[in-house]
Amino acid sequence: MVSWQHILAYLILGAALLYLMRKFIWDPFGAKEKKKGGCGDEDCGCH
Amino acid sequence: MSKDIKVALIGNPNTGKTSVFNSLTGLKQKVGNYPGITVEKKQGVCKLSRGVKAHITDLPGTYSLNTTSLDESVAVELLLNRNAPDFPDLAVVISDVENLKRNLLLYTQIRDLRIPAILVINMADRMTRKGISLDVEGLEKHLDTRIALVSTRKNTGIDHLKKLIENHRQIPSTPCVDISVIAPDYFEKLRKTFPKENLYKLWVVITQDVNFTPLQKDYPKTKQDFPARSRAELKRMQHRETILRYQYINGILKETYKVDWQAAKGLRASIDKILTHKVFGYLIFFLILLTIFQAIYDWSEVPMDFIDATFVSASEWIKDTLPPGVLTDLIAEGIVAGIGGIVIFIPQIAFLFFFIALLEESGYMSRVVFLMDRVMRPFGLSGKSVVPLMSGTACAIPAVMATRNIDSWKERLITILVTPFMTCSARLPVYLIIIALVIPDERFAGLSYQALTLMMLYLIGFVAAILSATALNRILKVPSRSFFVVEMPSYKMPLWKNVFYTVVEKTKSFVYGAGKIILAISIVLWFLGSYGFSEEFHKAPEIVQERVASQGLSEESKAYVADKIKEYRNSVRVGITPGPNTIALGSLQDSLQLLRTELEVRAINQEIASYRLEESMIGHMGKWIEPVVRPLGYDWKIGIAVLTSFAAREVFVGTLATIYSVGSDEEETIKNRMAAERKVDGQPLFNLPTGISLMLFYAFAMQCMSTLAIVKRETNSWKWPLLQLVGMTLIAYIAALAAYQILS
Repeated sequence: MVSWQHILAYLILGAALLYLMRKFIWDPFGAKEKKKGGCGDEDCGCH
Repeated sequence: MSKDIKVALIGNPNTGKTSVFNSLTGLKQKVGNYPGITVEKKQGVCKLSRGVKAHITDLPGTYSLNTTSLDESVAVELLLNRNAPDFPDLAVVISDVENLKRNLLLYTQIRDLRIPAILVINMADRMTRKGISLDVEGLEKHLDTRIALVSTRKNTGIDHLKKLIENHRQIPSTPCVDISVIAPDYFEKLRKTFPKENLYKLWVVITQDVNFTPLQKDYPKTKQDFPARSRAELKRMQHRETILRYQYINGILKETYKVDWQAAKGLRASIDKILTHKVFGYLIFFLILLTIFQAIYDWSEVPMDFIDATFVSASEWIKDTLPPGVLTDLIAEGIVAGIGGIVIFIPQIAFLFFFIALLEESGYMSRVVFLMDRVMRPFGLSGKSVVPLMSGTACAIPAVMATRNIDSWKERLITILVTPFMTCSARLPVYLIIIALVIPDERFAGLSYQALTLMMLYLIGFVAAILSATALNRILKVPSRSFFVVEMPSYKMPLWKNVFYTVVEKTKSFVYGAGKIILAISIVLWFLGSYGFSEEFHKAPEIVQERVASQGLSEESKAYVADKIKEYRNSVRVGITPGPNTIALGSLQDSLQLLRTELEVRAINQEIASYRLEESMIGHMGKWIEPVVRPLGYDWKIGIAVLTSFAAREVFVGTLATIYSVGSDEEETIKNRMAAERKVDGQPLFNLPTGISLMLFYAFAMQCMSTLAIVKRETNSWKWPLLQLVGMTLIAYIAALAAYQILS
């Protein structure tokens, strides 16, 4: 029988997996939205 | 006045811009007494009276508007682009009272862009000691501006500066120098070709070395009448501009700024002579390093033991208090054990950051940079690479970003590629736990072998970095030019507030940054270690008991029982009659028999837990990778820890703590658990060959996804991070293999 402890434990597992997926699989290389602008910005990509 | 004010903080490197920024905004950005701390702009808000807010942008230091490196261009581009959202209503130019003449060069250039600029003269508290007298009113009159005399160390003058910012509309934006006199014909043509543009701005755009995106260097050339000049000619004109500016500045300072040179030099020069000496300089640096590592070991022992014991108690308390079940086991064996694996290193990490902050704050770090420049030259690097490499001892990510102040692309690329060899704080937990297990806690001439080993590992990282730089310097066919000028800041008594904030902020980011990953990985590992699909996993108790009945206890269990009995024998006193702390001779055999039975039951339970772990999901995964790591002296559990620590090196200890916690039915400290691990033949798993092999693997391996991400971003290519990953992993594997095979 599935107890409340099981439910909570699996929820924690789900949250941990989600965090790791987001950190290392979906967007591992920080390709967050690129700022528009010049070399002053972190992701200017012009060098 | 209802409109918010946009303010740009700009100035030469190491004039205390970030300290002024922190004083104005109440933020706690990192500061230090050496150039190049800030490599990208940072923003904060300063609340002024009547509800007015000043949006402050702290820009990387630059000596002039003639930029040569990427970090300098951040500042210049903002000042050139009037359409940029952050274009300032007011520039606050920070200068250092001891180097006012040089600092004013930049100030006059900003004024020539017709940007209203306040002059802040920082470090005013040093004026008396340095024999400096300054006529502030006279200087204000000559420069036609307002001046704030500030000391961020003594927290004086900041309120006056806030008032000046608030009344920024009264600051004139008239130019200081008419540069057209250096080549009247050229500038006249320029004026006619671009009648609407600011002449000095055009000149800066034409002569800059770094490309700006919105204000392309080639833009003026699109006009047919543009009076093009060769690069060499432009450089000559730039030199004439600099001379013109210094003539203007000298004229002003002659009347307003006096220095008693007798008072200004003296002690600093004498100290510099010793600290940057060709022989003594290195010797002193070596001794300082040795002292730091020794202190890290000596001072952190007590708090570390306390933290370790606290986590064991917490684990026990959770198991005893919460109702038995999966969640309780997950918290006690997975989460608490995993987090304990990182929290235990807080004292040592904090002490390391404390010493680094002291070196930075006192001004010694610049002397180290100067010393290292001599060492680096033959290896294709200059002193400019030293700042990133030194920063790499804390973390490779800001270090890679700090390479932006290197103007030569080749040198910058080489520095980016070799910086991860430097021993970052993430390697520290791995080194510390392995050193504690395999290096004897003994001393030689007052120095502990453990501290010496740690220092050797730091040196290995540095040597690996410069040797790789030599190889890359020969391999990479990129044209390069390089020069290095380092500013020697004055020696200062460290500001304890800054040291404290640096230690707290860095330790916090170490714990939280890695802590989240470790927590998540520990949870996943606990599940993988606590569940399995095979029949062996589910029937572990029966299988182990059957095996013990037919073959007896394993070698590991026999060694465990024997150790404990020996320990017991050594701890009791035997007498004819029983007494306090004394056991009667007749009772000894009975108590030993009782203890042996109890220990055998414990050993069987341990074997069951261990067998279940081997048959769990993680056990099967570990067995799959074991052939690759076995030649290095690692078992499957270490193999899993090496694999998970690819996310971040410090995950290694957390992973082992979780795996050993699941594979054991007793609560123990991490160190004791690792020390108790045995090979099949009953020998300790963490012995000298395995330990050295592991430490060398971590010294060379590129075990950090975040660093790879930053390298990709800074080089704008996948080629370099992949090369780094493959190259460093291969070197690490070969070094670890050689060490294990030779030592065993």
